[in-house]
Amino acid sequence: MIRINRRKLITTSAVLAIAALTVATVPAQALNPNMGSDPGVTASSIKLGITSPLTGIAAPGYSKIPGAMKAYFDYVNTNGGVYNRKITLVSKDDQYIPTTAVAKANELILRDKVFALVGTLGTASTKALTASTQLSKRGIPSLFVNSGWSGFADSKAYPTTFPHLPSYQMEAKIMAKYVKETYPGKKIALIYQDDDFGRDALAGFKTAGLTFDTYIPYASGSQSLPATGAGWISKLKTAGTEVTVLFGVSSASTAALANAYAAGFKTQWVLGSVGGDATTIAATNKAYVGFLYGAKGFSFAPATTDTTDEYVKLFQGIYAAAQPTETFDNNVLAGMSNAFLTVQALKAAGANLTRAGLMKAIETKGSTFANPFLTPLGYSSTAHIGAQGYWVGTYGPTGALTPDGGKFAYVVYTTDSGTGPVVLSTYKRPAMPAKGL
Amino acid sequence: MLKRHPLFTFIFFGFVLFLISNRLDELRVYQGATVAIYAIGIGSIILLTGYSGQVSLGHGALLAIGGYAAALARIHYNAPVWLTFVVAVLAAAVGGALLGLAAARLSGPYLAGTTLALAIGLPSIANQFSILGGEQGLSFDIGLPPASLGEDFTQYKWFFWISWLAALISLYWLRNVMNSRYGRSWRAVRSNDVAAELAGIHVGRNKVLAFTISAGLAGLAGALLGMTISLVSPGVFPLALSFSLATGAVLSGVTTLGGVMIGSVTLVAIPEIALAIANRYGSETITTNLPGLLVSALLILTVLFVPNGPVEQLRAKRGKNEHSLKKK
Repeated sequence: MIRINRRKLITTSAVLAIAALTVATVPAQALNPNMGSDPGVTASSIKLGITSPLTGIAAPGYSKIPGAMKAYFDYVNTNGGVYNRKITLVSKDDQYIPTTAVAKANELILRDKVFALVGTLGTASTKALTASTQLSKRGIPSLFVNSGWSGFADSKAYPTTFPHLPSYQMEAKIMAKYVKETYPGKKIALIYQDDDFGRDALAGFKTAGLTFDTYIPYASGSQSLPATGAGWISKLKTAGTEVTVLFGVSSASTAALANAYAAGFKTQWVLGSVGGDATTIAATNKAYVGFLYGAKGFSFAPATTDTTDEYVKLFQGIYAAAQPTETFDNNVLAGMSNAFLTVQALKAAGANLTRAGLMKAIETKGSTFANPFLTPLGYSSTAHIGAQGYWVGTYGPTGALTPDGGKFAYVVYTTDSGTGPVVLSTYKRPAMPAKGL
Repeated sequence: MLKRHPLFTFIFFGFVLFLISNRLDELRVYQGATVAIYAIGIGSIILLTGYSGQVSLGHGALLAIGGYAAALARIHYNAPVWLTFVVAVLAAAVGGALLGLAAARLSGPYLAGTTLALAIGLPSIANQFSILGGEQGLSFDIGLPPASLGEDFTQYKWFFWISWLAALISLYWLRNVMNSRYGRSWRAVRSNDVAAELAGIHVGRNKVLAFTISAGLAGLAGALLGMTISLVSPGVFPLALSFSLATGAVLSGVTTLGGVMIGSVTLVAIPEIALAIANRYGSETITTNLPGLLVSALLILTVLFVPNGPVEQLRAKRGKNEHSLKKK
């Protein structure tokens, strides 16, 4: 008995010792394989990476973004690329889970060795991957993140991160001005998500001096329960609400609109941009898209149906060629705008492309970049602020938002995330570069 | 040897890992840290399910308690790193004890349902109290590795060391607990609670104790998880995490701690394997859907062919061989 154990001990020790020696002789991998130039860029190529939800709860709608970006990059590549460099986009699926987003960002940075991240989606995911992979310490640019959290504009806390969406505060302030001017004396109610997202908006409404007759907060997740939406409608009915502002995610708008329809309750809906996405609502039930008809909505990009807009026309053409079976919607427009802005930044950084040079170019020239948005960009070396305003529109029967100012005449308001006023914009968008390159 | 010199083995294993961490590239180091975290989480489930016979489909909730406790201790009291982990273990243990009190009255599918509900419900509490940071979560920053470790010592290597140290200590401790009077009592309760009660074992108390210890370990795993991704938020502890851990426990073999590495390595390796296959044969759609398919297939195969896990199966086989040798 004892002999067996001793033999086992010796054998196991020997195996472990050999294993240890083998491991010790494996050559150490160089931590920083690039000397001089940054990873992910050569004389003929630029490699970019994105992590976003392609499967899972947030995938409907958002999953179109990487494909749309690729379509635009391919268009640029067939037209000679940027300084003869072809752009490749490595796309990863993070399922909207921050832990997975960090793992995928690590793969992009350490294995695929991308030059920069672009368009990462979701506030929590973007916050997590920025901190964990130490983007700022490594000097890796994180371009045009898809999050409306105003915190990313802080260039001290997030020196390599560049948001491009207007913040939730900006949106709420503009909504407040619109509601006050358009519906004076009416009974108004607010349905909002009771978390940072909704509270950001509450702060915006407060700054703009709009108080509601009825406040209906809901916990994130509860909007999918059947009783929740019905409860909102009965509250709105009791309060005699005439105008209902909804600042929540698409599943909340779906619940609200469907229950109002079922209960035969009529109100003027005013939907925040996050909750007014027809593609996401259609993912629940195609028939629900019709409920959007007549609701007011907000956007900062041109309307997806506006073929008089040179960008929309160009993007529609590119997308139809690349993804003939998919419909051109807001998510596609967002992805292609994102890619367009990225190309402008790469162009501005010059032929001698470095990560530091790229970020410097956005900080110094970003506010003058050609871009499809109808509001000015606010990039500077002290603040990383993207688009700064919204236009108001009405949803049509197919869920497309068209501006209220007449056929594709956009009335654009601009503001900031602080206490600044909401003003009618006089911004003139720079002309699209030749062929949209 | 593990039986006679467990401490020696654990220390030696740690030494091998130390050597490994110096040789691997950063991505592997990061994945290595994840393996350690899974190992603790799976060990915690094995203790609960395999030893005390209580099913938990909601371990993610216990990880969340630990993660949030650690982050809050760090943010509001600037607690040193080791203390944040102690806080995480204690907070989750308290949560586990409370849950255990309810769980001791339930069994089978009722218990599974209760823990599942907890995993769904608990993380969204973060949205109700602003101190918990809502959907965007709280940053959990343990700071840079000590300067004495040198310039080239990366953040992920630091995470790797901390995670593995925690994993080795907790698995060593867990092994000892399972071989102690408590471990034997739990096994007796699992096998037949009436017989255990007749033998003088207080069934309820033992179940609650098992839940408490298991929760403490889960809390540690949660804090480590928050550390490696620098954030705790409801999205960090989704239902998918609870299911992954339960899957890992089944793959490891729920009744033996020895297989814990099998489950944790598998969980980290599967997406890698899927990526390799997809790069070779296919497209993006394959990469996104293959990991889930592989894990599910493995789970089914494990339950069909090695229901007690590969390690237990090997042991049983060896036992049979030795038995037949003796006969001759």
